[in-house]
Amino acid sequence: MLIPRKVKHRKQHHPSLKGRAKGGTKVNFGEYGIQALDSAYVTNRQIEAARIAMTRHIRRGGKVWINIFPDRPITKKPAETRMGSGKGSPEWWVAPVKPGRVMFELSGVPEPVAKEAMRRAMHKLPMKCKFVKREVEA
Amino acid sequence: MSEVRIAAEPRTEFGKGAARRVRRAGKVPAVLYGHGTEPRHITLPGHDLMLALKTPNVLLRVDGIPGADNLALPKSVQRDPIKGFLEHVDLLVVKKGEKVSVEVSVNLTGDIAAGGVLTQELVTVEVLAEATHIPEGVDHDIEGLEVGAQITAGDLKLPSGVELVTDPESIVATVAAERTDEELAEETGETAETEAEGEPAAEAAESGEAAPAESAE
Repeated sequence: MLIPRKVKHRKQHHPSLKGRAKGGTKVNFGEYGIQALDSAYVTNRQIEAARIAMTRHIRRGGKVWINIFPDRPITKKPAETRMGSGKGSPEWWVAPVKPGRVMFELSGVPEPVAKEAMRRAMHKLPMKCKFVKREVEA
Repeated sequence: MSEVRIAAEPRTEFGKGAARRVRRAGKVPAVLYGHGTEPRHITLPGHDLMLALKTPNVLLRVDGIPGADNLALPKSVQRDPIKGFLEHVDLLVVKKGEKVSVEVSVNLTGDIAAGGVLTQELVTVEVLAEATHIPEGVDHDIEGLEVGAQITAGDLKLPSGVELVTDPESIVATVAAERTDEELAEETGETAETEAEGEPAAEAAESGEAAPAESAE
């Protein structure tokens, strides 16, 4: 599962989910991609589940790219604890994803296979997504 | 390549307010520059421009603004990342017979040999071509390409009068071997192992001894 090797600060403020993705909005490495249409925190477990769903469907062929990395820790206080006495303990690692971001890319498989693989992966993700294709433009 | 005529209007209002008014009216703000001329700010009809830009490196003849021969190539196209509508276009003035450096797409046709996975590293290559004769794309046949084979930019057959600018040694596509059953099992069956590994990490995190803290020290 994706996790930072080393962090400078164990607990951080909540990452912002305002606005739109300012980069990574196009398919750059593969032929097809999954683009986020809403903002959400994507946890490392969700990324892994989506990757496995795609790899299981494409079987031997194809190549998968993951363009997001869960490098932000989210903390949680234990259940039935009174407020105060400091910030809770790190619980999850998330990637803050904003609308427009291409999170996964795929190549080396025919379009119908890619579409189905990505549909399965989208079910593992916490936001509305769409299937996108690489475009060549001026 | 045939040219597309497009009617332009000079733009007098600037800034985001004016640009948004233009877009609400179904038009696209654009700028025309090049050949040492002053940049000219123009407005183009949104639908016509969208249709014209479906052809890569389309040659546009911009009508309705001062200047003798307003031939231009789209230099940069800004689109809304989600909806895909046009937000702004940069047009570069070109002259007939002039050679321009443009990116053209590489289209790989045919099927590779069984047991291989094709990875296209370069989707476009930069070429030097006459502004009025820019190829729409470069086709390359990959029929029966074996595992381990690779195509470099130098291998591409360009139309006459077109020169390659990209390094000829750059790799355009490679054919790797398909995953073996073991590799596939390792990649997809990883879940059980990693989840099992992930649990203690989560527990450690609860007890205030998260893995990141340890590694941070």
